[in-house]
Amino acid sequence: MLRLVLGRLAGGLVVLWAVATFSFFMLRAAPGGPFDEERAIPPEVKAHIEERYDLRAPAIEQYGRYLENLITLDFGHSMKRQQSVGEIIADHAPYSARLGLFALAIAITGGVLLGVIAAARHNRAADHVAMSISLIGISIPSFVLGPLLVLIFSLTLFWLPPARVGGFASYILPATTLGMIYMGTIARLTRAGMLETLRQDYIRTARAKGVSERAVVWRHGLRLGLLPVITYLGPATAALISGSFVVEKIFQVPGLGFYFVASITDRDYPVLTGVLVFYTAFLVALNLVVDIAYGMLDPRTRVT
Amino acid sequence: MTPAPGRLALVILVAGCGLPDTEYFGKVPEVTDPGHLRYCNSGEPEGIDPATVSSTTAMKPVYLLFDGLTDYDENGLPEPSLATHWEVSDDVRTFTFHLHDRGRWSNGRPITAWDVRYQVMRVLHPTTASVNADGLSELRNATLYNGGAVRIVQRDGAGLRAGDVVEVTAVDGRALQAWRDAGDAWPDSNARRGSKPLALRDLGADEALAYARVPANADVTIIERRDGWGYVYWNRGDGVYGWVPWTELDVEPHAAARYTIKPVDGGGAEVEVAATDLLMLPEALGVRVPDDQTIVFETTNPTPWFVSLTDNRTLRPTPREAVSRSPRRWTDVDTIVTSGPMHLVAWRQRDAMELVRSPTFWNQDEVKLDRITILAVDGQSAAANLYFTGACDALTANHLPASYTRPLAARYKDFHVEPWLGVYFAMLQTETFPNRHFRRALAYAVDRTQIPKFLHGGQFPTAQYMPGTPISQLDDAELALCGVTRDTPGVVSLMVTGELCYVPPPGLDFDPTKAREELALARAEGGVPSSFVYKFNQGSETHKLVAEYLQAQWQAVLGLDVELEIQEWKTFLSDTKNGQFEAARFGWIGNFPDAEAEFLPMFRCDSPNNRMQWCRPEYEALLDAAKPIRDRQARLAKIRAAEAMMIEDAPIIPLYVYTQVHMQKPYVRDLHLNLIDQPPLHEAWLDPDWRQD
Repeated sequence: MLRLVLGRLAGGLVVLWAVATFSFFMLRAAPGGPFDEERAIPPEVKAHIEERYDLRAPAIEQYGRYLENLITLDFGHSMKRQQSVGEIIADHAPYSARLGLFALAIAITGGVLLGVIAAARHNRAADHVAMSISLIGISIPSFVLGPLLVLIFSLTLFWLPPARVGGFASYILPATTLGMIYMGTIARLTRAGMLETLRQDYIRTARAKGVSERAVVWRHGLRLGLLPVITYLGPATAALISGSFVVEKIFQVPGLGFYFVASITDRDYPVLTGVLVFYTAFLVALNLVVDIAYGMLDPRTRVT
Repeated sequence: MTPAPGRLALVILVAGCGLPDTEYFGKVPEVTDPGHLRYCNSGEPEGIDPATVSSTTAMKPVYLLFDGLTDYDENGLPEPSLATHWEVSDDVRTFTFHLHDRGRWSNGRPITAWDVRYQVMRVLHPTTASVNADGLSELRNATLYNGGAVRIVQRDGAGLRAGDVVEVTAVDGRALQAWRDAGDAWPDSNARRGSKPLALRDLGADEALAYARVPANADVTIIERRDGWGYVYWNRGDGVYGWVPWTELDVEPHAAARYTIKPVDGGGAEVEVAATDLLMLPEALGVRVPDDQTIVFETTNPTPWFVSLTDNRTLRPTPREAVSRSPRRWTDVDTIVTSGPMHLVAWRQRDAMELVRSPTFWNQDEVKLDRITILAVDGQSAAANLYFTGACDALTANHLPASYTRPLAARYKDFHVEPWLGVYFAMLQTETFPNRHFRRALAYAVDRTQIPKFLHGGQFPTAQYMPGTPISQLDDAELALCGVTRDTPGVVSLMVTGELCYVPPPGLDFDPTKAREELALARAEGGVPSSFVYKFNQGSETHKLVAEYLQAQWQAVLGLDVELEIQEWKTFLSDTKNGQFEAARFGWIGNFPDAEAEFLPMFRCDSPNNRMQWCRPEYEALLDAAKPIRDRQARLAKIRAAEAMMIEDAPIIPLYVYTQVHMQKPYVRDLHLNLIDQPPLHEAWLDPDWRQD
């Protein structure tokens, strides 16, 4: 187990380095820079500004310094905002995390419930209803679902705020919008996993021993049936928690998702590399957690 | 940035359910707190430090938090604020402002002329690296100071006298430009070290009150010298500034450097002196403080618009005691010191700023509100939704999705359209299209009057360049001032209320016959391409609609094939700047209504904004000829001739004057919108009894 963890960590570092390097050079290759606006700044003034942000040295030197700082977890300073990249992540990641966790709770509860019902009532009406709901969740994009929910619950009924987050109520619409797609996928994965599991010999044994159907499904079946869901949960959690640009934009959630897009349009180099490295680190870490969880749920996959 | 997600709500609203059949768009909540305005701003500002910010988004909080010598009046023109009155010298090069003594910082310290001078120095000093430095370029020696290339002679010798202001041309035998091109820093005559640690503090403060300590033998840069004290910058982390006794700055790291200098007035030969004989100090700038209540600005050329610079953020003073301690973060809630009608008490990034009435502001009568919440709503649909549900009382200008304007304009009483000091135009790359007749043909071929019919934002079609107020909207006094009759087409620029009016020359307005004649002339000279590409940027539906319209017009009138190309914003800026386009859209928004200062310099050959690469020495000669003229009418005549020359040559094809589309709930009173989108928000108030009118 330790070897697995160490191996994955080493691999993760390589991935982080690759992401940092790739994003560093890709964004700099894009035309225009952070200080190009409609009203051009005189070259004198621009020189001072570029000096301050270390944009005048050759790219390879900038890259060297950037990596050096990265090792000490210094992501640099935003070129368009007052904050450092570290502060941006510290200030805005919690909004994304809250929204993401809320959405995840909706996705897992709803998804597992629908999936189990569908599997237990295989090819019956309940199965079709559950799978239709999940299909709707997967197929309606959030930029359609979000405004639709706003239209109904905010602009017509005036029950929930259309944008901005604060209290619990304000998270309901964005979390539902964000969670629906994942709920649909989780429902399908759960159903498939359960169907597969329920055909296994040990389930037949359990049934033969007279275990109640409820216990068969929820206690014996679910444990193994959830394995594909667990695999999916790693990247899904990373994606949900690190922020969705679209949902955050619709509902004006001041999360991290905004910076993935804004830093590209602004050519804010340190912010883009910073949030990408942060997101990658998160993804690597969660995948590791998934691997460990796998081992716990199914002893056969344990690597010694 | 695409505002597409979320626009759907309206589409459904319009198509499916129909817009609510009310007088106003959405809910009009009861006014529970008449002293609290909730303003939906267009996103999070890049900062609120007047010296360094430049976006219109940032100006809303900046002008509430910081006072200026003058402030914007209802028309967007300067009115007295910290200054009670001012005098302009006969040669229009010296501007003397008199301050009253009631101005206070939020920490209680009086605001004096020294604070204004500090702001000038701060904006221009290279260590600030401010994008606003350009705004003060008319000030004497400002450009040299900003480039670190001006010095004051410290002792007599080599034909120079102590106090002379000189320009540095080379250091150690290498021209400044060569140092810059190589990306190297030349040995600075202002660098110092302390043989003992330096305790940075406020001017005259005790050493025990120091807020930063510079270790012995670390480099600092001298910024200012006063009463036996030196104000220095220590470049560590975000940087820190502070005063130390002058004698403690006892080590000169670049004492051996040799400076080649010449007098700033241009005359006189170059001489070489030791770095130790020179210092860059703010006294080199054209700004003087004869006493605490008086500040004098001096410009290189007659600058009739100088007063218009004093309401702008660039000249709004910032508090030295706060900036020095934390140059980049002093505007945080716990450290900010303000001078305006409002003070900052809470700031949640990308969500909201809370401003409350500042008890130290000198003009309390003017402030009608106790609290202003500025919501940072970057999504246009989200902004419209918040307004609809009554979560904000007013929506900043042009922050509605483009598709909303048409259905809303016709229906709701809280939808308003005002002119804006900006012009939308198509520009032509004159090196690709050197043929004047071809460019003129393109200009004559566009019927501008159709544009507002498909954009629905109340745009005022124009073939003129300098934007302004449509002549049809002027009152009789203004008509007389401008010397036009009501049925004259076009716009005028009202520059000083009741005093000065500029009538821009007419442009090449729609005339298909002339268009075809010009095309024939161009064809005879071989200057007509078989097809060309018109570029526009993403981000607004408007650009696409205009592009398609131009394409259709040029096809219908001239039979030309035009291809359209859409580009991402920064790529578009970069391509057009490098001349990599044939035709493209652009827009220009002015800070104040003065063609000479704000709209015509971009057509100079070496202007970084001259994307058209149009270069006419005769045009520059006219602008230069205007520079020394003191009489404003005579000066405007030259300016008008220059603008006419440009517009006749058609490097650009003006299409319409921008408008500000905005919404405010019916109970919001006295929220005056002006030509430059700087409403004095603190003068607004909320009327709980609005229904009784």
